[in-house]
Formats: sequence, structure tokens, C-alpha cells
Amino acid sequence: MPQIDISVVTFPLQGGGLDRFTDPLVQFLTDIANLDAVLLQLLAFGLLLGGVYALTALGLTMIFGVMDVINFAHGVFLVVGMYTVWLVSESLGISPFVGIPIAAVVLFVLGVVVHVLTVEPILEAPQQNQLIATLGVLLIIQSAIEIVFTPDPQQVQLSLGSLQVGGVFIPLGQLYALIIALGTMLAVRAFLNSTDLGRRIRGTADNRDGARYVGINVKRINYLTFGIGAALAGVAGASIALFQRFDPFTGETYLINAFVIVILGGLGSFPGAFVGGLIVGMIQVFGGYYLPGTTAQVLIFLLFIGTLLVKPEGLFGGADA
Amino acid sequence: MGKTLKSSVTSNRRRFLKTTGASVAALTLAGCTSDDTGSGGDGGDGGDNGSDGGSGGNQGTTTGSSGGSVDEVVIGSNHPLSGSLAATGVGMNNAIKLAAMRKNEAGGIESLGGAEVNVIQGDNQGKQELGGQVTEELLSDGANVLTGCYSSPVTTAATQVAERQGVPFVISIAAADNILENRGFNYVYRPQPPARRMASDYADLVPTVVRDNGGTLDTAGLFYINNSYGQAIRDSLRETLPEQDVEIVEETAIEFGASNANTQVSRLRQADPDTIIASTYVAGGVLLAQALQDQSYRPPHLTACASATFTDDKAVSDIGDFANGVLDNNYALNPTTDKTAEVRSQFTENYDQEFSASVGMAYTAGEVIIQAIEEAGSADSEDINNALKQLQYEDHISAMGTIEFNDAGENINALAPVNQVQDLSVKVVYPEEYAETSPQI
Repeated sequence: MPQIDISVVTFPLQGGGLDRFTDPLVQFLTDIANLDAVLLQLLAFGLLLGGVYALTALGLTMIFGVMDVINFAHGVFLVVGMYTVWLVSESLGISPFVGIPIAAVVLFVLGVVVHVLTVEPILEAPQQNQLIATLGVLLIIQSAIEIVFTPDPQQVQLSLGSLQVGGVFIPLGQLYALIIALGTMLAVRAFLNSTDLGRRIRGTADNRDGARYVGINVKRINYLTFGIGAALAGVAGASIALFQRFDPFTGETYLINAFVIVILGGLGSFPGAFVGGLIVGMIQVFGGYYLPGTTAQVLIFLLFIGTLLVKPEGLFGGADA
Repeated sequence: MGKTLKSSVTSNRRRFLKTTGASVAALTLAGCTSDDTGSGGDGGDGGDNGSDGGSGGNQGTTTGSSGGSVDEVVIGSNHPLSGSLAATGVGMNNAIKLAAMRKNEAGGIESLGGAEVNVIQGDNQGKQELGGQVTEELLSDGANVLTGCYSSPVTTAATQVAERQGVPFVISIAAADNILENRGFNYVYRPQPPARRMASDYADLVPTVVRDNGGTLDTAGLFYINNSYGQAIRDSLRETLPEQDVEIVEETAIEFGASNANTQVSRLRQADPDTIIASTYVAGGVLLAQALQDQSYRPPHLTACASATFTDDKAVSDIGDFANGVLDNNYALNPTTDKTAEVRSQFTENYDQEFSASVGMAYTAGEVIIQAIEEAGSADSEDINNALKQLQYEDHISAMGTIEFNDAGENINALAPVNQVQDLSVKVVYPEEYAETSPQI
């Protein structure tokens, strides 16, 4: 196939600092025109990274969707999931994959305890109170992990390697995390749509006062929701531990991305979280490849700000979110 | 959930957006400033460096009303004791404590009648905005002399406060040139080689090692952490590599806290250089190794310049066999002196941690401070500062010559020798005066 060179095309205002953006754009368009194989590789990486990001955002979006609580402890819940799967595999010699449901259970219990002790008493207070309380929970659990396990990074002894499909490398650890993300999203969606408890949770999310009027135990729904949200974080953290070293502070980066994804996709929306995760993943991968330095990060936060300004309800938000 | 979970009250959504937006912005800003000043400039030091001499520093803890005999001299240790740099930061802090402990066990500061060396610590969390604040706290807690901070952006902020207060600051680790460059400092000293020196040592030493042992090194791809440390190494390598006939064919950066390096490795794989040169903290190098393995790619020579990864025993162990053969020019422990083994043994015994090159460099900084106190014969910050200016310290455990500082505070004999991972152990292989084994190419 003859190579196409569109670098001769001059963009308006090209030159100076603008080259920083126009040159990569030209390169990107040239690769598309030439159907460069690297595009497929980047697409795979974007999908894998986006899937992991989506998984980390599910619990956050659920807790807000039902309870209107901004859970800053979500990042450290991820970390507890990581340490749980590591402990299970290192201490008991059990497969890390078995550790994933165990992490979900541990985090569910932890979520319920955190909710009962810190969130429930101030649930009706202004929203910033819960934010500060969960931030406090984050710091306490993070410090406890650091004291018990030291700040040294840990890793699950699991060498999964990668698949090669038509010249495209797919790291298996991230592929499993993507599958877990999809499976978890479908399972929770089925739970919410097809079970009585799920319907009660949805009803509470629709109208908390109305739910009380029809006899739903909103208090119970609250702690179950917080527990399920934490369990989702546990699954996410445990999945990340399959392919990444971690320390007590690993959750911070994921937490920031999760907030961006939740706002981008729409508050309380699972499909929104998934699509938001994919968008952020794709920007990071394609931006990381074509743009200089770490300019892709700037794009992500520009998108975040743009969403707040133009469509604050998010892509899947609005009256129906 | 999509159309199932409704946020019934619009104002709640707006509150969420407002509060979360502010919180995320704050977190992000914190992340950005802690990890990445990005400018490669002088860190925004305001241009008022050292003009007033500050308060003259602290006078030490004394007994008697006249302040004649000194009980103790206080070193303020400003390191990341929490956060993602804490694994190394805690070790560095312990190294300073060990230097003090060894001196105290040997009778204390002889010229001060056996005064004890006391170490107080502050946690900068690896965040630039805490660098100055922690320094202030250490000074108000009585520190006579300071050390820190591992992260270059944090050190940039911390040294500014020390200079303003007129208290000497000996950098434990921080590579960015602009910490000392063009800031007119009078109280800040750096025993380790700065970025430019490490890059020039890379260019002088690593291609020589490769070529002398039958390898080819004509092209290089840079993989660096995108903060002032990584950018300083990148800029210096751009200057020094062409002088050794090495062409840079690709440059790619990784963000602090990134979850993988897949994209960066894709770029490097496309360029296919003779060597990849990694300049990252520990985590970045581990991600690089993992992504290289995931994409079944390894250049003929995998190397590093001033990277913490390939001199860290735990990281090397976690990476596994893939780490074998990596050449990394960095500050190193001197394997040819008995004192190194003695200190290493004492450190692991006391703190149950690895005595990595980074930890060893912090230990050396601690000894430099203690030697300066000894030679000053005083706990006064100004006297210690004057002693640092005159210092010539040979009895250290780093693989470099006598430590002595020029007017800018840089160690004129700093060196970043070449290490190589062999059998999952980090060994100095060049230059020969410090080598414990031969390079394997």
C-alpha cells in the first residue's frame, strides 16, 4: 500500500507553540490514512485501560446515585481490595482470582461499617459534611494500611503474560480486568432490574421520601447501597492487583480519574461510567502516543471542565439519569 | 443504572458538581504540584534568595544560662514518609537516623564535648506544597541543620525556606539542576551528582561500557518521569549524547502515578533504538519493564540514567529475570570499602529494610552534616554552614571521591558510576576503581 503523507497540509495558525498540537494531529491523520497497525494496538490499550477505569468508577457512581453522598473513601476502598487479594494469595496460597470475590465480601462489610459509623449519622446534613467524613475515613484506613504493611509496594505473584493477536499485544491481566468490569456491570444492572431489593434501591434513588411513604426501609437501603458500592470498589481494586504493583496510596490516582469519569458519564449512570471510562482511557492512550510529554492529562481535565460548563449532567445524565 | 437511578433533586446534582469539582481540582492540583513542576525553570523562587540571611538559624539546645556547653545538635529530616514515594523516603529518613546513631554510639560530637546528634523528622508526602511548610515546622522545632527531600520539586520548595532562614540544608537526594542553578544560594549543598552531571556521566561511561564489550549503541529512546527531575535528565541527555555519537530517536514521558507504560513502550518499539534510557522513580521503571515484557520487546541494551528502579533491590526482585543486564548510571554505594558492608548490615538489622543506593546516598548526606558539625565545633547554623563550605570529607560510603562543595553548593567530585543488574543483584561495574565485577554485555 502506498504511504500517504499529509504532512504537507498546512493548518491555520500552524507554527510556534501550535506545532505541539498540529504535528501530532497530522501524524495521527497520516496513520489513519495509511491504516497503520499501531492504531489497532492503541485501540486495544485504550479499551483495556478504559475498562479498568470504568470498573473503578462504578461504586462511586452507585453511592451517589442512590444516596447523594460523595464518597472520598472510594480510593482507599480500592486499595483494601488490592491488599485483600494479595493477602489471600500470599498467606493462604489461594489463586488471586479466588481473592476477588473475597475482596468483594470484605469491602461490603467494611462499607457497611463505615456507613453506620460515619455517614449515617450525618446523612441529612449538608453534603460537604459527608465529603469531609469520608475523606477522614480515607486518611484513617490509608494510615492503618501503611502502619501494618509499610509503604513498600506489594505485588501479587502472578505472571499472566500477554496474548498476541495479529500483531496486537493484549496484556492478559488487563484483559481479565476488562472482562470483570463488563461482568460486574451486567451483574449489578441485572440485580437492580430483576430483584425486589434492586427495585427498592432504584425506588429510593428516584425519590427518598416517596420510598418511605411506600414502606421501603430507606435506612437499610442506605447501608446496603454503601456496602455494594464499597464491594464494587473491592472488585476493582482486586482486579487491578492482578497486573499492577500497589502501595497504600495507589488509590489516589484512580480516585481522581473516577471523579472525572462519573461526571463525564453522568452521575448515577452505570453505562455512563463505562463510556466515561473508555473515553478517558482512549484519550490517555492516543494522547500519550501522539502528543508530547503528558499533554494527554491536560486534555482529560479540559474535557472535565468542558463537561461541567456545557453538559453538567454528563453524557448519560439528565432527567433520566 | 442509566435510567434507573434518578437523582431526584437537581440542586443536589449541582451541589455534587460544585463540591466534587472543587475537590477534584484541589486533588489534581495537589497531584500536579507534588509530582511535576514541569517548567524546568528555577521553581519560582521569587528572586529574593538569601539576601537577608534570615534569622541566623537555631542555636542548639544548651545547658546553663550562658549557653556554653551544647547537649545536642538537631538535624531536621524532611522526607516523604507517606505517599507513593514513602517506600524510599522512609528508608532515607532511617539512614539519617542511623548516621546520627552511629555518631552518638561513638561518643557524640567530640568538638562539642560529646553532644548528641538528634534527628527530628517531618513528612512532606512527596508534595511540593509541603516542602516549605515541613521545613518551617522542623525549624520551629529546633533544627540546626536540615536535609531532604528525595523529590526534586519538593526540594526546590524546601531549600527556598532554608535559605531564607539562613539554615544550612544538605540535599539527601534530588537531581534537578535548577534546585541550585541560578538561585544564588548560600546555605544549600548537594553531595550527589545533579542531573546534568549524571547525564554527562551516562554519555561518558555507558556507551563506552557497551562499545568496549562488543555492543553497539548509536541510537537511544528516552523514557522519563514528567517532572523537573525527569525533564532535567532529558534535557541534559539531549546535550551530552550527541557528543558521544548517540542519536536520540524517540522521547516519551510517563505521568507520576500512571497505571501502566503500554503507550510509551509502543512508541519506543516503533522507534526501535539500540537502547532505552529510563529516568524514573521506582514505580515508573517497574511499569516500563512490565510493558516491555507484555509487548515482547527489549532493545539490545536496556539502560537507565539516574533511575531509582534498577538500584532498588525490591524493585529488581519484583521485576525478576527481565531486570538482569540492565545498566544504570546513578549514585552508588562504594563496594570497595569495608565501611559500606558494615553500615548496610547495621541498617538492615535496625530497620528491616533494604539498603539501596538511594538510602545509602541519604546516609552519606547525614554523615556530611555530622562531619560539618564536628568541624564547626558549634551548633550554630551559621558556623555549620561555614564548615560545610570548607568541608573535605573522604570517609564516606558513596562511590565517588572526596566530597567538597563549590560556590554553588555542588559536590565537585560527585560521580554517577555504572551499575548493572546481575543475577538480580545490583553491582557497580564501571569505572574500574569502584567496580566489584565486570560488565556483561
